[in-house]
Amino acid sequence: MTPETAGVVIGTGEAVIFWILGPVALAGALGMVLSRNAVHSALWLVLTMLSLGVFYVVQEAPFLGAVQVIVYTGAIMILFLFVLMLVGRDSSDSVVETLRGQRVAALALGAGFAALVGAGIARATQDLPVLGLEQVQGGVGGPSSGNVEAVAGLLYTRYLLAFEVTGALLIVAAVGALLLTHVEREPGSRQTQKELSRARFLTDRPQTLPGPGVHARATSVAAPALLPDGRLAEDSFATGIEPEQVEQMPRPTGREQLGSPDAALGSLDPTLSDTPGGRTGGEHR
Amino acid sequence: MIDAPDFSFAALSPLLLVLGAACIGVLVEAFAPRDVRHPVQVGLALTGTVGAFVATLLLAGTREVTAGGALAVDGPTLFLQATIAGLGALSILLFAERSLDPARSAFVVSAAVPAGSPRDRELVTTQRVQTEVYPLALFAIGGMLLFVAANDLLVMFVALEVLSLPLYLISGMARRRRLLSQEAAVKYFLLGAFASAFFLYGLALVYGATGSVRLRDIREAVTAESGGVLMVLGLGLLVVGLLFKASVAPFHSWTPDVYQGAPTPVTAFMAACTKVAAFGAILRLLYVAFGAAEWTWRPLIYAAAIISMIVGAVLGLTQTDLKRMLAYSSVAHAGFLLTGVIGFGAGGDGSGLAATMFYLVTYGLTTLGAFAVLTLVRDGDGEAGHLSQWAGLGARSPLTAAVMSLFLLALAGIPLTAGFTGKFAVFRAAIEQGAWPLAVVALLASAVAAFFYLRVIVLMYFSDPVADGPTVGVPGLPTTIVLAVTATATLALGILPGAVLDLAGRAAIFVG
Amino acid sequence: MPAEGLLAASWLLIALPLAGAAVLLLGGRRTDRWGHLLGTATVVAAFLLAVACTVQLAGLDGRAADVELFTFIATGELDVTAGLLYDPLSAVFVLLITGVGSLIHVFSIGYMAHDPARRRFFAYLNLFVAAMLLLVLGNSFVALYVGWEGVGLASYLLIAFWYTRPAAATAAKKAFIMNRIGDVGLALAIFVMFAQLGTTSYAGVFGSVGTLAGGTITAIGLLLLLGACGKSGQFPLQAWLPDAMEGPTPVSALIHAATMVTAGVYLIARSAPIYDLTPTARAVILAVGAVTLLIGAIAGCAFDDIKKVLAYSTVSQIGYMFLAVGLGPAGYVAGLAHLLAHGFFKAGLFLGAGSVMHAMDDSVDMRRFGGLAKKLPITFVTFGLGYLALIGFPFLSGYFTKDAIIEAALDRGDVWGWVLGGVAVLGAGLTAFYMTRLMLMTFFGRPRWDDGVHPHEAPTVMTAPMIVLAVGSVAAGALLVSVFPLADWLAPVFGEPAEAAHVVAPALVGLVVTVVMVLGVLTAWLFVGRREVPVTAPVRVSPVTRAARNALYADTVNESLFMRPGQWLTRALVWFDNRGVDGAVNGLAAGLGGSSSRLGRAQTGFVRTYALGMLGGVVMVAGALLAVTAG
Repeated sequence: MTPETAGVVIGTGEAVIFWILGPVALAGALGMVLSRNAVHSALWLVLTMLSLGVFYVVQEAPFLGAVQVIVYTGAIMILFLFVLMLVGRDSSDSVVETLRGQRVAALALGAGFAALVGAGIARATQDLPVLGLEQVQGGVGGPSSGNVEAVAGLLYTRYLLAFEVTGALLIVAAVGALLLTHVEREPGSRQTQKELSRARFLTDRPQTLPGPGVHARATSVAAPALLPDGRLAEDSFATGIEPEQVEQMPRPTGREQLGSPDAALGSLDPTLSDTPGGRTGGEHR
Repeated sequence: MIDAPDFSFAALSPLLLVLGAACIGVLVEAFAPRDVRHPVQVGLALTGTVGAFVATLLLAGTREVTAGGALAVDGPTLFLQATIAGLGALSILLFAERSLDPARSAFVVSAAVPAGSPRDRELVTTQRVQTEVYPLALFAIGGMLLFVAANDLLVMFVALEVLSLPLYLISGMARRRRLLSQEAAVKYFLLGAFASAFFLYGLALVYGATGSVRLRDIREAVTAESGGVLMVLGLGLLVVGLLFKASVAPFHSWTPDVYQGAPTPVTAFMAACTKVAAFGAILRLLYVAFGAAEWTWRPLIYAAAIISMIVGAVLGLTQTDLKRMLAYSSVAHAGFLLTGVIGFGAGGDGSGLAATMFYLVTYGLTTLGAFAVLTLVRDGDGEAGHLSQWAGLGARSPLTAAVMSLFLLALAGIPLTAGFTGKFAVFRAAIEQGAWPLAVVALLASAVAAFFYLRVIVLMYFSDPVADGPTVGVPGLPTTIVLAVTATATLALGILPGAVLDLAGRAAIFVG
Repeated sequence: MPAEGLLAASWLLIALPLAGAAVLLLGGRRTDRWGHLLGTATVVAAFLLAVACTVQLAGLDGRAADVELFTFIATGELDVTAGLLYDPLSAVFVLLITGVGSLIHVFSIGYMAHDPARRRFFAYLNLFVAAMLLLVLGNSFVALYVGWEGVGLASYLLIAFWYTRPAAATAAKKAFIMNRIGDVGLALAIFVMFAQLGTTSYAGVFGSVGTLAGGTITAIGLLLLLGACGKSGQFPLQAWLPDAMEGPTPVSALIHAATMVTAGVYLIARSAPIYDLTPTARAVILAVGAVTLLIGAIAGCAFDDIKKVLAYSTVSQIGYMFLAVGLGPAGYVAGLAHLLAHGFFKAGLFLGAGSVMHAMDDSVDMRRFGGLAKKLPITFVTFGLGYLALIGFPFLSGYFTKDAIIEAALDRGDVWGWVLGGVAVLGAGLTAFYMTRLMLMTFFGRPRWDDGVHPHEAPTVMTAPMIVLAVGSVAAGALLVSVFPLADWLAPVFGEPAEAAHVVAPALVGLVVTVVMVLGVLTAWLFVGRREVPVTAPVRVSPVTRAARNALYADTVNESLFMRPGQWLTRALVWFDNRGVDGAVNGLAAGLGGSSSRLGRAQTGFVRTYALGMLGGVVMVAGALLAVTAG
């Protein structure tokens, strides 16, 4: 393949698209790494993926472009977002770097690597001729066949083994995902609705348990409910979580808070002390 | 119209046996009743690996390129595949040991239950096991078998992933010290992905430079135009990915943490089989694809060997945990193996390939045996890995101490053990290729490393037993078989290495 | 030529006893009941095989068979093979070891019957036989060395068999250390050979040793001699052998009389092609032999411990053998003949001593024996025949073999020939003296044993081997000299026996030696037989006796020659070590440890640190490769 045979010239449109989408793809990648919010990261990544998809199409590889958009942007990224939303998008990790010099070194080395590889590639690709699809694709699937057929041809001949072994990889991935998430129940360990119901009505307390004490002062289910007299309602403890002691509002107990006793209602306490909330004094007024 | 590529199913049979058994294993997991799963899975896994071992033996002498040119079945492939399948079968036996742990397995009951949760505490004592480890291990072995046979960078990459992914998973499945195990799995996964990325990048660059991922095409391109920047850069990144798997310094940092955290049978499996597979791929990549550009990568491998030997030997000195110590020993041994790689010589006329393959066999057997002994010595919380707990073991359990001493002596390379013969072979190959400075460094590193192996022996025999020391479990049949095979082989390959050396020598011709 | 037929299976000779030892040691208590039988069976089987092999060997041209066992490492130009060499010389030793070994195994069945650790004893004995066979059968100096260390180990284990006795433990340690001194010599000799010749096989070394400089050959010869002296209890390393009698008596008979201690003689005879080239080393051997011969004989006169007397007698007799092999081609055959005959009668004497001890509640003090001839008739007769053979009673084996040595010495023809011959004759007289003293004190005179000791004859399993050995003692000499001439048998190894021009007529030599022997016997009778033997040794004795009782101050000599300078050197070295070497070593160790912990700090446990390290590696790799390519 001598330069003379290279008869393809890069069109203006292609160049324009490249110079617009190239920076966009890069920006997406950087944004993905630098965002603190996982959802934002995912969206930045979508941007990069879409840009790459356009590149493929522009490079006369429509199949790859479509796969890129459908599989990566459509399926994988949506799954990512789904999981992120399920897990809770603001589970923020600490971003304070505790290791001294880690960031500086990482930046320096990253930049160094980028420079080395960039320089190397730039040098190597300096005067490369541009070949058209026809020439690169060669005879696979016939010289005049399109890219889709050529990809298919390669998949079923040259890369058949790789393609098939990828199946093993997918099995492993599926088994692994199940392994790490699926808790197998012991047979008979799960009670049926009927059994549960029967068991419940055989206790002293067939009605529902009190809910947790989620008030304005505590958003956690660990906060127990309070009984009218201020004690904790033990029935409301969430299972598996230590009950959390919630700071209570100051309770009105002294005369100054309650005002003078209402005669119609009778005296609250004839021997209230002067000390607010206290009962230590025993002296009558 | 597409012509179907030729597939020689005979040549593929080891691979098909193992991967087939793995797929059946997954189905067993889905459909077989719970209480028959363990025996069935063990039987299946053993059938697959032993079958693959036998298949490689039957294939001996085959030299062909098949699967549309993606697979090279030649002497080194079959020798290393036999090694991997054999060591894999022994590892499966270690996995299957049920009489050491009071809960009857080294593997977790249910990996999905969060560590430390009440449910987890409940499950610690049940005797169920997550039997998915067997199909996963089989997939890993299948990946390794493919890895050493790959004649195509793409297949090599897929094989790398097929062998790595199951390893990440089963590293995190220890029954005891689960958090440590899970941490190890995550670290291994993250760093492994990092290394794979480099490999993939290198693959892309090499493809860009040569227009093909076939090793033969690459060799032609390299011969035509030696040392294009793109190609050399790609080569470097490919090598990085492989050195990571072989735990060569400075890409070794995962090794101690993962070796320590993973369940010991899995550590044994990784230490023995992954090393074989990784070196098989390194040898093939460097000599089949880039043999003509030897001058570009030779300094690199030279330096990596020295760094690896020094880092492994020196860092091993201060380890107090036996598994970590063996991990650094693995790093040092990776360096010794690289001296063998250097010893292959520019034209492939050196004895380095045979020496490296022989070393892989001896190292695999010895290290597998050493880890198997580790599983025997236990305290209330699983294996007793701390050095201090091994004090006076010679008095308490002479046989265990003797077997461990044998393995340690072999790792140290003392004559009349397999380790000596292996070291001798690789050093000699390196010296023949003029790399005597490397051999000198290797000897010094061996001397330093011998110190920490011998320290364990001294500790076992010349210290008083600690008061509430660990107990030495009575191994069941599987571990007994493993110990018997590895100990016998370690001795036999030390005293009568002729046959295997000869075999390795005859197998040491690449096709490609 | 490569071995065929039975000879190809001669590795079984070693494998059989080795397997026996392995079974007995690994089998543990399960084998207690039949262990001794197995141990004996393997050695007897080895003996039968050895006989068959030797018969086959006799029919071979060139009478040598190479048995290639296995190739240890064969890559490139380096070719290390392990193999056996079955030739007339090794055949002689193999027959001696397995033959006498079988008898002693049988004897031990009875002797050790009441020992709870009998199985362990047989395991060690088997181990010894295997190692000794490897020593004599190996086809290279390395194989010999492996066997050499093996017998050293077995000897150590057996001397210390009753390790709860401090004396046994000390004796074992002494034997071990003094043997080590010799072993260093042997090892150095092998190193020199390998460095200079690139091979250690007998064929290779002997084929090319002539190309070396004279000084190197002498050095090799002297280093080999040092090894031989250590193993054979020759001056100046003779002190361990009498102490080694702390082991069970069958051990003394097999290892410290008949076989292992003669390994030095084997080594020198085997290395004949080397010694032929170095008269200096040969002269040293002669001196060593002559001095040891006298030291052993003099010390033997003074001891009251029956086994020690026999031990010094062994030292002295091996001195004869050294003297013989030091004479060069003329003496090899004479020395080996004496070795074989000695193997028979000394083993018989030791077994007799064992039988006596068996009868006397393990006492070894001859002053408390006396008059045992009637109580132990079989022992008396067999012991007596061994005694006669040893002192060279005409037409018994010692007579032929010892005379041959004296003749060979005299045949040198120069003044040294006369000196050596004279020493040997004097030794013969001394031998007659101390052995007669032993006989008189043990078997004749008034019984002096303690009350409560009831001497009884040993069981058949013990007496039978003694009878066989006694027959051997009587006949071996005549057989080896005239019926099956050893010289002809060994001709492929040492060359055809040359018809020597005798300086003194053999008949005259025989006569003189016999006369001297009779004088020795008479003297002994005058000193010991006529008078009552005191039960306690007299304290006021002549300086000569005192010196003899102290074994001519061998321990003192050793102490001042080896131990004191050794201690001084050690102290000096320790000082130097502490200041200089240790500083360096400790510094190195500390440096390694320090760098280990420093490097270890990079192992933070954080994935990002690890990834950073990898990235650093990648940058280095990429940078280096680009530099290499661009540069």
